[in-house]
Amino acid sequence: MPVLSVRDLSIDYLTRRGPVHAVRDVSFDLERGETLAVIGESGSGKTTLAIGLIRLSPRGTRVATGEILYTKDGITSDIRKLDDDDLREYRWAECAMVFQAALNSFNPVISIWEQFLDTARAHGLKDKHRVHDRATELLDLVHLDPQRVLPAFPHELSGGMKQRVLIALALMLEPQVVILDEPTTALDILTQRSIIDLLRQLRQRLGFSMIFISHDLSIAAELADRMLTMYAGRIVESASVSDMFYRPRHPYSLGLLRAVPRVSGALGSVVSIPGAPPDLVRLPKGCSYAPRCPYAIDECRAAEPPLIPVDTPRHEAACIRWEHVAKVVGTAEVAVVEKLA
Amino acid sequence: MTAVPVATKPIGVGWNPRRYFGGFWRHPLARAVLKAVLTIWVTTTLTFFLIRLMPGSPVELKIDELIQTSNGALTYDDARAIASGLFAINLNAPLHEQYLSFLWSLVRLDLGSSFLSSGTSVTSIILAVLPWTLFSVGAGLLLSFVVGIGLGLMAAYRRNSLFDHVVSTGGSVISSIPNYLLALLLIVFVGVQFRLINFTSMRGAYSSGITPGFTPAFIADIFYHAALPITIYFLTQIGHWILSMRSATLSALEEDYVTAARARGLSDGRIRTAYVGRNAVLPLVTQLAISVGFIVGGAAIIEQIFAYQGVGLRLLAAVTQRDYPVIQGVVLLTTVAVVVANLIADLLYSKLDPRIGRAGGAAG
Amino acid sequence: MTTAVFVRPTLGQRLAGPAQAVVDFLRVLSRRPVGLAGLIGIVFFLLLAFVAPLFVPLTNDPDVTSLYQTPSLAHPLGTDFQGKDVLNQIVYGGQPILIVAILAAFFSTLIAISFGSIAATIGGRLDAAILAITDVTLTLPKLILLIAVAAIVRPTSFLFLAVILALLQWSSLLRQVRSQVLSLKERDYVEAARSLDLGIFHIVFREILPTMRSYIAIHFILAMTEAMYAQVGIILLGLVPLSGANWGIMLYFAYNQGALFFRDSLWYILSPIVAISLVQLSLVSFASALEDIFNPRLRGA
Repeated sequence: MPVLSVRDLSIDYLTRRGPVHAVRDVSFDLERGETLAVIGESGSGKTTLAIGLIRLSPRGTRVATGEILYTKDGITSDIRKLDDDDLREYRWAECAMVFQAALNSFNPVISIWEQFLDTARAHGLKDKHRVHDRATELLDLVHLDPQRVLPAFPHELSGGMKQRVLIALALMLEPQVVILDEPTTALDILTQRSIIDLLRQLRQRLGFSMIFISHDLSIAAELADRMLTMYAGRIVESASVSDMFYRPRHPYSLGLLRAVPRVSGALGSVVSIPGAPPDLVRLPKGCSYAPRCPYAIDECRAAEPPLIPVDTPRHEAACIRWEHVAKVVGTAEVAVVEKLA
Repeated sequence: MTAVPVATKPIGVGWNPRRYFGGFWRHPLARAVLKAVLTIWVTTTLTFFLIRLMPGSPVELKIDELIQTSNGALTYDDARAIASGLFAINLNAPLHEQYLSFLWSLVRLDLGSSFLSSGTSVTSIILAVLPWTLFSVGAGLLLSFVVGIGLGLMAAYRRNSLFDHVVSTGGSVISSIPNYLLALLLIVFVGVQFRLINFTSMRGAYSSGITPGFTPAFIADIFYHAALPITIYFLTQIGHWILSMRSATLSALEEDYVTAARARGLSDGRIRTAYVGRNAVLPLVTQLAISVGFIVGGAAIIEQIFAYQGVGLRLLAAVTQRDYPVIQGVVLLTTVAVVVANLIADLLYSKLDPRIGRAGGAAG
Repeated sequence: MTTAVFVRPTLGQRLAGPAQAVVDFLRVLSRRPVGLAGLIGIVFFLLLAFVAPLFVPLTNDPDVTSLYQTPSLAHPLGTDFQGKDVLNQIVYGGQPILIVAILAAFFSTLIAISFGSIAATIGGRLDAAILAITDVTLTLPKLILLIAVAAIVRPTSFLFLAVILALLQWSSLLRQVRSQVLSLKERDYVEAARSLDLGIFHIVFREILPTMRSYIAIHFILAMTEAMYAQVGIILLGLVPLSGANWGIMLYFAYNQGALFFRDSLWYILSPIVAISLVQLSLVSFASALEDIFNPRLRGA
C-alpha cells in the first residue's frame, strides 16, 4: 500500500485573466521508503503541487479536483477532507515540507531553539527537557553542533547550516513523508554535495519516503528511485531513474537530458529546448508540448495525450510518438547524457 | 573564504565615525549617543545665533529697554552688564568666547533668569512644567501606539473586509485633520453645542485643592485634567499607527517564514504574535521615536487651547512677554527631552531586533 | 511624402504625448476612488482659491447690524464678529494659505534635490556632514522651533514664511534623492553622459531625476500638508503679523473673539476648519493613491 497516493489532482490559481491551470490531472504513488524526484522547468507546476500536498496553497487558489490519499498504520485518509486541527497535525508530524532556499524559512527575531520549541509545542510536546534532548539528537544527526546552533539567531548561520537545521526540524516528529523543494539550489557546490550525502544517510537510517522537487537532474540521479517529469502542469513521464536516464520516452524528458552540460566533451553538445512554456490560462489544443516538440505531427495537436505505459515496466509517458522517441534514443547501453559527445 | 578587497571609500554609509574614531563607534548605541549629542549641539548653536545675531536681536532690544525704563540712569555698559546676567552670556567678551561660555553654562544647566522675575532661574521655571507635557504627550502616544497596532494587525488579517475599510479610512481621515483643529471641533461640538463636558474645570494640570503625591486621588485628578490633550494626541496619531502596522503586517504575511511556520503546523495564534506581529512592529518602533518630536511640537497649540500648563503653554506665554531666556530655555530643554526619548526608542529597537548590534556573519 | 529629414513637430503633436499620459494616469487613478476624490478635492480648492476670486467681488465692509448671523440667502455661511460675509472670506482666504504651502513645498523640494544630489555625487566628508544635519533635523521638535523662530524673527511677508517653513521639511526627500543618485551613479547611461562631458547638472536633472518623478511628486504634496499645518498653527497662535482674508486668520479671530463659545457663531468657526481639513484630506488621499500606483508592493489577489 503506497504511503501517499495522489489521484487526478488539479490546482488552479484564480487571477483576473481567468483561472491559471497550474497543476492538471496529476496522479502518482509514493511507496514506503521510496524517493521520488519531480523534475521540471520553472512554472511547470512542481512547487504548486508540493504546496498543494500539504494544503498550504495561498489565498486565491482553488483545488479543482482530486484526492490526496495518505496511509498510516493501515488507515487511509484523504488529506483534502481533513479539518483544520487534523490538518495541522498532519503537517510536519506526518508530512514535513522543507522549502526552497532555507534562507528565509526562519523567523528572524527568535532563536533556533525557540523555533524548535514552537514546533514541538504545536504538536503537543510541552516538556522542555525532552524537546531539548530531541533537538540535540537531531542536530547531531545532521552534523551540527547543538551548543552553537540552538542559541543562535537565523542570520548568524550560513545557508548550508540553515538547510541542515531545517532538515533536522523536519525529522523531529518522525514523519513518513518528507517533501523538499529545491533543497540545494541556493547553495554553493560543496555544500550541495554535503546536503545530498546527508539526505542519503538519513534516508538510510530512518527510512522515510522522500519527494523532492528540482530542475536539477543530477540530484535526481544521486538520490531518487523514481522520477516524474512535469510540463505545463502535467506529468509527462513517470519512470524509474535508470529508465529515465537510459530510456526516456517523452520528447520533453529527452530535451531536458540533452540540455545538461557535460564536464567533458565537445562544447557544442548542449542543446537547449527552443521556445517557452505555454500560457497556463489559455492552453493550446492538443499536447501542450507540441509547439516545441521536434517530433510533433498533426495528430499531436488534436488532443492532449494521456499517460500510456511504454516498453519497460512501471514506465509511462504522455506521448503518442513514444516509439519514435525510443528509436531516436537508440540502444540502452549508455545513458542518453553520455551519448552526445 | 578568500579575502575580497574592500573599497576604501565606504559608499552610502553616511556618517562613518569608524574612519575617525576606531572600532568602539561601530556599536549602534555609541552612534545613537553621538547623534543625540550632535542634535543638542546644533540646536544650542542655532539658538545662540538667533538670539544674538538676528536683526532686532533680543539682546539689543533688552538693553534698549533697560536703558529706557531707567530714564537714562543706566549707561550702555551697565545695561549690557545686566543683560548679560539675564541671558547668562558675557556680552563684553568677543563672540567666540561668548559662545563657549554659553555652552559652558548650559552644561551646568544654567539657562539664565527670566526677564520678568530676575530671581527665578529659567531652568526651574521650565522643569516645573515640562513633566506635564511629557506626561500628556507620552500617555497619548503610548495609548495610540498600542491601540493603533492592535487595530492595524486586525485590519491586515481581515484585509478588504468592512472592518478593514472602516478602520483604515476612519483612521486616516481623523489623522489628516490638524490636531489643533480637532481640538477646536471637540470644544465646539462636545462642549458648547452639546454641553457634554465642563471645560473650565479641566483647565490646568491639576486641581488647586489637591496636594500632589502618589495618591490615587491625585493620579485620578491629573488624568482628568489631561484627558482632553491626551484624547487629541490619541486621535491624531492613531491613524498613522493603524496604517503603518497594517502595511507592515501585510508585508510580514507574505514572508516565506510565515508559510514555513504554517507548514510546521504552528497555530494561527502563535504565528500572529511571535512571527507576524513581532516582525511587523519592529520598523514602527523607530517611527515612534520620530513622532515624539512631532507631537511635542504640536503640544504647544493644544496646551494653549485647553489651557493645560505644560511647556508649550509656558513658551507661548514667554513669547507674548518677550521673555527670551525662557524661550531659549524651552527650545533647548524640549530638544533635549525629545533627543533622549529618541535614544530610548533606539535602545529599545536594538533590544528587540537581534540582527542589530551583534557580531553577525556566519562561519561556514 | 516630402523628403524633409528634420520636421519640427507641431504644437498639436507635441501636446499629444503628455495629453495621452494624463488620460492614462486618470484611468489608473479612477480605480482608486479615494485617490480620485482627493484629486477632485485638490482641483476644487485650487479653483476656489485662485479662480473664484476673479469672479466674486470682495466684500470687506463690516456691518455692525448683522453680527454672527446664521446662514441665509444673503450670507450662505453666515457672518463673522464684524458682520462680514463668511463665504466671501472663505473664497478669498484660501489663496495666501495655498500660496505659502506651495512655495514652502517647492523650496523644500529644491533644497532636498540639490543637497541630496550634491551629497551623493561628491560623497566623502561633505556627504557625511549633510547626512548628519539631515538626521538631526529629523528629530527636532519642529513646531516649537518654529514658534521660537517666528517670535524672534517676525515674518512679515508670505515669501519669508514659506522659506522658514521649507527649512524644516526637506529631510526625508533628501535621503531618498541621495540614495537614488547613489544607486544610479554607476549605471551605464550615466557613464555615457559623463563620458560625453555633459556636466553634473545635466546628468542630475536630465538623467537621474526623471526617474524620481513619483517620489518628488509625493513629497511635494506631503510637504504642502506639513506647511499648511505649521502655518495655520502659528497664525492661530497669533505669531504672524499678517492680515487680510486668510483661513488661518479667520480661525485666529474666531478663537480670540470667543466665537467658540457662542452657539450662533458655529458657521464662522466651522467654515475655515472644514475648508482646511478638506484640503488636507484631499492632499493626503491623493498622495497615498500616488504611492499605491507608483510603488505597488501590496497589490491584493
